[in-house]
Formats: sequence, C-alpha cells, structure tokens
Amino acid sequence: MDKKMKNSFLNQTPNSEHRTPNSPEEPRIVITGLGILSSIGVGREEFWKNCLLGVPGIKPILRFDVSSSRSKMGGQLPEIDFKTFIKPANLRRMDRIGKVMVSAVKMAIDDSGLDLSKEDPHRIGISIGTGLGSSDTVDQFFRGLLKDGPVGAQPLLFQTAVPNAITSHCAIEYGIKGVNITFSHKETSTEMAMAYACHLLREGKADVILTGGGDELSEPLYHVYSRLGALSPGKEKGFEGMRPFDRDRNGIVLGEGSGILVLERLEHAEKRGVKIYAEIAGVGLSGSTDGVLRYDQKGNSLAKAMSQAAQDPSIVDYISGAANSTLDLDRVEAVAIRKVFREKAKEISVSSLKSMIGEFDGSGGVRACGVALSLYQGIIPPTIGTEHLDPDCDFNVVLGQSKKREIRSALLNSCSNGGSNISLWLKRYV
Amino acid sequence: MRKRVVVTGLGVVSAVGNSVPEFWNSLIEGKDGAKEITAFDASPYRTKRAAEVSGLNSQSHFSGKELRRLSRCDQFGLVAFREAWRSARLDQDPIDKERAGIILGAGSGGILSVEKYFRDFYQGKGKPSPSLLISYSLATTTDLIAVESGLKGPRSTTATVCSSSSVSIGVAYDMIQMGLSDVMVSGGSDSLCEVSFSGFSSLKLVDPESCKPFDKRRQGLTIGEGAGILILEEMEHALKRKAPIFSEFLGYGICADAYHLTAPEPNGEGVERVIRIALFHAGTSPEEVDTINAHGTATIFNDIAETRGIKRVFGERAKEVPISGIKSIVGHCLGSAGGIEAVATVLTTKNGIIPPTIHYEVPDPHCDLNYTPNQSIKKDVRVAISNSFAFGGNNVCLVFGRFSSES
Repeated sequence: MDKKMKNSFLNQTPNSEHRTPNSPEEPRIVITGLGILSSIGVGREEFWKNCLLGVPGIKPILRFDVSSSRSKMGGQLPEIDFKTFIKPANLRRMDRIGKVMVSAVKMAIDDSGLDLSKEDPHRIGISIGTGLGSSDTVDQFFRGLLKDGPVGAQPLLFQTAVPNAITSHCAIEYGIKGVNITFSHKETSTEMAMAYACHLLREGKADVILTGGGDELSEPLYHVYSRLGALSPGKEKGFEGMRPFDRDRNGIVLGEGSGILVLERLEHAEKRGVKIYAEIAGVGLSGSTDGVLRYDQKGNSLAKAMSQAAQDPSIVDYISGAANSTLDLDRVEAVAIRKVFREKAKEISVSSLKSMIGEFDGSGGVRACGVALSLYQGIIPPTIGTEHLDPDCDFNVVLGQSKKREIRSALLNSCSNGGSNISLWLKRYV
Repeated sequence: MRKRVVVTGLGVVSAVGNSVPEFWNSLIEGKDGAKEITAFDASPYRTKRAAEVSGLNSQSHFSGKELRRLSRCDQFGLVAFREAWRSARLDQDPIDKERAGIILGAGSGGILSVEKYFRDFYQGKGKPSPSLLISYSLATTTDLIAVESGLKGPRSTTATVCSSSSVSIGVAYDMIQMGLSDVMVSGGSDSLCEVSFSGFSSLKLVDPESCKPFDKRRQGLTIGEGAGILILEEMEHALKRKAPIFSEFLGYGICADAYHLTAPEPNGEGVERVIRIALFHAGTSPEEVDTINAHGTATIFNDIAETRGIKRVFGERAKEVPISGIKSIVGHCLGSAGGIEAVATVLTTKNGIIPPTIHYEVPDPHCDLNYTPNQSIKKDVRVAISNSFAFGGNNVCLVFGRFSSES
C-alpha cells in the first residue's frame, strides 16, 4: 500500500451518519452501468431489443440430458465466446457460471465508463446473489468422488464449487478489494444483494458497488426441480411454458443468466459525468411463514415489502412482477398489489420478464436491469405467453407488446418459495 | 443516529457441547472435540476424524415426521435457535414479530441429504425420496427457523462459507440500523458432509492428526460441524423489556484480498484492512482490544498471514493481546464457524475468561504472538474481536464490547 492509499478504506463521506434507510434526505443511489447475459440476448442492447419485441427465450433443452424428466424446456444462454470478455489465461480457473458472472461484471463496468485504474480498489465493492451458484461443478466433483473415492475428489473443481467462488472470480479479475459478499436465498438472492449494496453506499462504506447476480441451468438443478414437482409439466399433462397471470398457468420453466448493475452515490456519478439509468430509492424486506416450500399465502408480507420500499405509492407506474407462472405466487402478487394500491392498482402497468427468460433464483439481476432500462426509456416490455388473464389477476398486465408510457417510478418484486419477500423501488432519474 | 445493538440470546450445538453452558465449560477446559466420523463412511480417507456433534438426541427435539424431512444441518440450527430464543426470554416476552427477522450464514447446508439422494440416484438404487432434496437450497435452515418462530421481518442467507455466519451477524446488525427490525436472529448452522470433507482433504488442508493452530507442526484443520446462533437486539428495545444482555455488538468490517481462489494474501494486508475497518466502524481503536478470536485454521498460510495482519494493526502491543484459536477445540465448522466463534467471543467479554488454543507445543518463528496455549486465562475484556476469512480472500471481522448502558 502506498502512503496515499494507506487508510483510504476508512474514508467516510460527509453523509455517512446513520439514518433510516428510506428517508428522502439520504444520499441518492444511482445505476450507472448494466451488464446482462440472458437467453434473449447477451449485452444490454440485444437483451433490450428482444425484451421489447417479446422474444421467447424458452426452448427445448439441448445442453444436457432431460430424458428422465417429463418437462423438456428451459431458458438457456446461447453459446458465448467468453474470450471476448475474459483473458484466455484467466478463463482456465473459472467454471461456466463463473465465466458468465465475470462477463456480466465486465460489461457493467464498461457500460458505466468506470476507469478502475483511477478508482481506489478498496472503495469498490461487490455484492452478489445466487441461488445455487456452481451447481454443475458441485455435481461434477461429487460424481468424481462417487466413481473413484477420495482420489476422485478434484481440488480444482472444489475451489470453484463453493457458492461464493463466482464473487471471488470477479474480485480477483478486477482487483475489487472493498466489500465482498454473496447471498443465497432462493428467488430473493439478488434482490437482497442489491438492498445490502444500497445500504452500504448510503453509509459511505464504499464508493461503487457491483451488484446483482445470476444462476445457471444445470442438469442436477433441473433434476431437483423436476423431482420436487415445481416445473411446468410438459405435453402429457398439458402445456409446458411460462404464462404468468394466466388462468391456465401450471408451474415454472427454469432459465439462467446474469445481470449486474453498477451502483454509486449520485455525487460520485456526477463527478464522473456519466449517464444515469435510474435511481434506487427504497428497499422493503419482509418474511412470510407459511412453510419452507410455500410462497407468501395471503400477500401480507409482499404488501409490507412494497409499502416499505415505495415511500410515495402515488407515483408508482410500473411493477416488474415476481409472478412466475405458479398458481400460488401469481395470485398472491395480485392480492398484494391490490392491498397496497387499492383503486389505483388498475392504473399501474404490471409485467413479468420471467415470461421471456424463465424463472431462476438469480433472475433479479437481469430483471433489475430491465426496470432500469424501462425507467430510462419510458417503455415497458410485455408479458408473453399469457392468453387468458386469471380473473384473480385482473389488473393492467402488459400483454403481447411493449407499452410506452410515462414511468415516474417502478417496483421490482421478488418472493421466495419459503417466505423471503423483497421489493426494490426504482425511480426515474431527474 | 447509529442505533446501539446488543446480544440478548445465545445458542450452540457443537462437538464439545450441545448447550451454551456445556460448550463454554469445554472451551475453558480445552476439551478436544475431534472423534471418529460416523456421519458418513470415512474409511477410505487418510483422516478419519472430525469434530462431530454427538449426544444431541434428535428424538427428544423432533417428531419422527419432522426427522424424515429435516437435514442434519436443519436440526442443529433449530436446536441452537431454540436455546438462543429462550435465553433471550423471547419465548415469554411478547414482541412485534413483523419487526423480528433472520439472517443466517450457510456453508454446505443440508448437502448431506442431497448427497444421499444423488448417491442412490447415480448408482441406480431405486428412486430416492425427493424430501431429501428440500435441502438443496442454502435457504432451507433459515426458512425453517422463521416458520417455526413466526418471524416476519427481513430474511436472507449469506453464502461465503467459512465467513458466512460471521457476515450474517453484520448483515443482521445492518437490518436493525436500517430501521427494518428490532430483533434479529443471526449466526449459522452447518453439518459434516462428504463433499466438503473430501474437498478440503483434496486441497491438502486437513491435518491427519490433531488441529494445531499457530504451532510449527501444524498441517491443517480438523473439519467440524454444529450451529452458533446469536440474537441481536436494538438496545432500547432490549432495555425496555429488561432482557438479559450478554454483550454489545459494536460493528464489523468486510473486505476482500482479491488475490487467490483459496490462498490468503501472504503479507496479512487483507487481515490488517478488515480489522482496521471493523474497529473504525465500531468506534473503537486497537488500544481497547483485549483479545482476538482468531480465524486460526492451522493451515500453513492462514496462520502466518493472520499473525502478520495482527502485527500490522497492533504493532508493539500485538504480543500483549491474547489470541484464541478455538478451531483446535470445535474444529472448522465452515458455515457455522463464525457463529460458534462469535458465541465464544461474546462469552469471553461477559465472563472475562479467554479460551485456549489447544495442542500448542512447538512455537513457529513466523507465528510469535500470545496464542493462549493450552490453558484458558482470566482477563478483564473491554473489547474482543473475532476474525473469519473465507476462500477467495473474503475477510470479515466482528467487534464485541462489554456492555454498559452508558455510552
């Protein structure tokens, strides 16, 4: 450490006093960079173009054998030439999900115009959410162990099998020495990572935090969801696909991908003179207790999360839904939206990006990027696949085609099967 | 204004005791928790020992139906949670459960059950029960505790493995600072499983004999298991209901080495930074720290890097601050290590006794500090810190202080 850097990690901003998280005088947190790898596009531009066109990312699974499962579909990433994003020598230590995450971070940093050589590495952090991280590597490691006993346990696989390996890869690749954390709590993993990042930035514990997360679709993961009966069933038992809020919805289709956001305090972004996609203005965190394999059943918990997050409900124009085409969650989300917004619920546009990219624990990163782009451009992507709105979900769902409208602010909802409910409130930057 | 946060409840399951009093007695007596592994067949391994939990008597805690669905990790977590909840008298005092949440740290989680499923599946032994797969998510233990206790506040799970349950305490503290809750359950649970045991063995990080932190003969860790749960509570809330207060949680630090996937930065620069960050946010200074609960894994590189980092922070005073390496007693409990060590650190501030580093005989010239060898010592403790370092150079430091209601 040179002398100038010596205690730089102890810097506090003038606004670092503790306050309640959502009070308006807090330092404002803005989104200045987006990195996206999804089944409907790699990179912000391709993703957003296809998102607005309502392109389905769900297709028959080709990467691994699904013959033992009734369901056959998934939202898979295309083949990606990772050398575009990562030095070939460094690729060797990463597994597939590691490469996906590091690539998303690279795109987000580039998009934000952040020059890492000019930033203090101790003041840059990373906060990542993932449901199952390197599930494929864990499986490969375990198969080696089963086949050959202890000598079949491969150390190089083990070191990338731990859930925070994906975060470590990113930190090592870009020399990120500040806060470093990984959350894993089913479908709310990434939203928690983002909420925590906002808190640390408000407290002045970092200048910039890369946040979001992702997951990969792997053979063991697919098998587990299939055996637990969570998947949309496939042809013998009817339609297989995502159709959020539809009366005939029948379960999830798994997807994969990664979405990373660059967050910083407004004054830090202004000093750099960069574009600002949107602001994260509030977070709400709540828990329901209906069972370890149950979503919030009455909608009270999700309603509480939305109310905590949106300090001014009158300017919420869009809700990016948690709805994932399950009987329970879509209904509960509708109930919760009505609880919070009552008569105004009909004026709010609701859409579920999961209809295009499928459901996965770390989907919140990609979905948050989507909300940021909606606020930046005043346009909401459609919910696809849905034909007959469930009367219980009878509100303003954006169906079929994208919709241009004024969006002053939006909520990003997430609910985990087991009862963590998180809502983030994003505002148009003005 | 920063809210003051106190620890009002503690619960432990460990190889040396399945309750806080039993655990604490074993610590100060320096009892070795290592024994022959029974959780899985360890016969093909060079090391057949681990700090395994014994004598828990699951049937007295859970019904037969529950036991079919609960992983070993879930059971440890629930038992430790119940003790912590009772010790905080939260089973008696009515609280607003909308403002009580849970953040736990996880390591391998319920993977022992998942291993059982996939072993049978891959070896074609019939159709294993899908209930073994409930533990596929690291969130399961956290959700089970929330469902049992009806806690409706913020909920999540941290997944940095060897530092998971330390950072969970930090995140839980932040939930209180954010004004989202008054009471938070934190810490973690983890159980032995073959994947992590064989993984650490394959990296040659497991000592075939006893775990000897900071000793020149050290060859690595002994894997352990268990749960360590802490109830954090906003001070005014705790005082109002006249809750027992074990100590104050003053703050924490978190940072990264960004150096290597498994090895620590060798000069202790990351260790120095995380301790300095933690003390800064805790509003205290190295001069007030009276003891350090070390990460102390007894791997060659960790113990040197940690020693160097401590010297960089404490300078001349480094030799005067007793360091405690309790992984020599309870093993390295991975996802619950930080929680169990935090319980020990809280009790150290409360009782004024510093647990020893056992199996310490041969000094290493590279590790030349006071590691409290083999015998616990009595010492008045104002502030104690607990270090946890994970794969990827993920560093966490927790700061606890003796509680006094005047600031």
